[in-house]
Amino acid sequence: MTAFARNQWYVAAYSHEVGREELLGRTILGEPLVFYRTEEDGAPVVLHDRCVHRRYPLSESRLDGDRIVCGYHGFTYDTTGACVYVPGQKRIPRTARVTSYPVVEQDSLVWVWIGDPTLADPQTIPRARHLDSPGWTTVRGMEPIDADYGLLVDNLLDLSHETYLHGGYIGTPEVARTPITTEVDEGAGIVRVSRRMDDAECPPFYARSTGIEGRITRWQDIEYHAPCLYLLHSRIAPVGVLPEADGSDPNGFHTEITYAITPSAEGEVYDFWMVSRDWETEDTEVTEFIRGNNHTVVMQDVDALNLLQRTLGSERTGYQELSINIDTGGLAARRILARLVEEGDKPVEKVQ
Amino acid sequence: MTSPTGEVYRIDWLPGTDVLHGTCHCGAEHTAEDPVEMWEWMLGHPEGHPEGHPEGPPEGPPEGHQQRGNDS
Repeated sequence: MTAFARNQWYVAAYSHEVGREELLGRTILGEPLVFYRTEEDGAPVVLHDRCVHRRYPLSESRLDGDRIVCGYHGFTYDTTGACVYVPGQKRIPRTARVTSYPVVEQDSLVWVWIGDPTLADPQTIPRARHLDSPGWTTVRGMEPIDADYGLLVDNLLDLSHETYLHGGYIGTPEVARTPITTEVDEGAGIVRVSRRMDDAECPPFYARSTGIEGRITRWQDIEYHAPCLYLLHSRIAPVGVLPEADGSDPNGFHTEITYAITPSAEGEVYDFWMVSRDWETEDTEVTEFIRGNNHTVVMQDVDALNLLQRTLGSERTGYQELSINIDTGGLAARRILARLVEEGDKPVEKVQ
Repeated sequence: MTSPTGEVYRIDWLPGTDVLHGTCHCGAEHTAEDPVEMWEWMLGHPEGHPEGHPEGPPEGPPEGHQQRGNDS
């Protein structure tokens, strides 16, 4: 199993999932968390999701103003996690407090810091501005997978699997047979994998949504900001149609495929998936086609990774893998993750 | 996550071949047909990266990459 990297920001939810009507419970890096918004300014609040009394999930409780009232015995917590009421007595034990977590809402994502809160710097959260920028339309979803989060990282860093697992949707023969370029920015913790197809079949996903007939120029530029955010900058255009000399690209179809890879518990990962486009942004038929088609693609990955995890679980210890050229980016991602895990485990003074 | 450092490793899979061509942030270059071997070489820096350019001095830094000395 891939160990968890602490002292990092993780996407815990979409903005629209966190509200006041219902408390949201989610487990991130093994820590049960409850999410809600304050009454006055709607700021997200993240607290440990266990009442100090008998460990009842606060996410199965209710809000009273900005306070959570435990659904079991009424222990009541404010937005800082401090217990402000216990039933039947005036004295509130000093230890009656649940942990509150640093949280940032940005680009329609709710990020939570897992680790030492004194190290949480919102400036280090990678951006995905297309998710809520004018001129872009986004469809999104989230699927829990019963697999080591490392398997999802492997999957997304090596898109040659599109040819085989997603044939008839986004995969064509050219994806698997086109060489990749891999770059690692060590300090930034970013892995970039680029695959440029000059003359490729147009997969049904794009043929039906863009209306392009015939072959295409297809670029897939991955930018993985370890550990959580994965950006795939996709450009397609009729074959031979390139961006203009001034950098503008009026004839290219740009699609930003975003994933947040958030480890939940050991062997469980949240697969947040988003597809944003800057073309036909008002066409609801295209939107619904992309939503349905991409959901099918995501579920093909979910089924494959569930199966793979079960299979790995039944292996004898000490099995070996075999890596080839297509794995160059995935190997880089594994190594960066291993470094982040190590750094997250170090005492505070050695982290920086 | 920290800021970009310019410490960039690059591996090009040469089109039409099975060959990987690696360029370390120090400018040293290496070819291999196995990504595991390639990463071992790359991350062995500075060991096996003499003078930064074992396969002859490059004409300039790789495009888009800042070149650095052997300081890591």
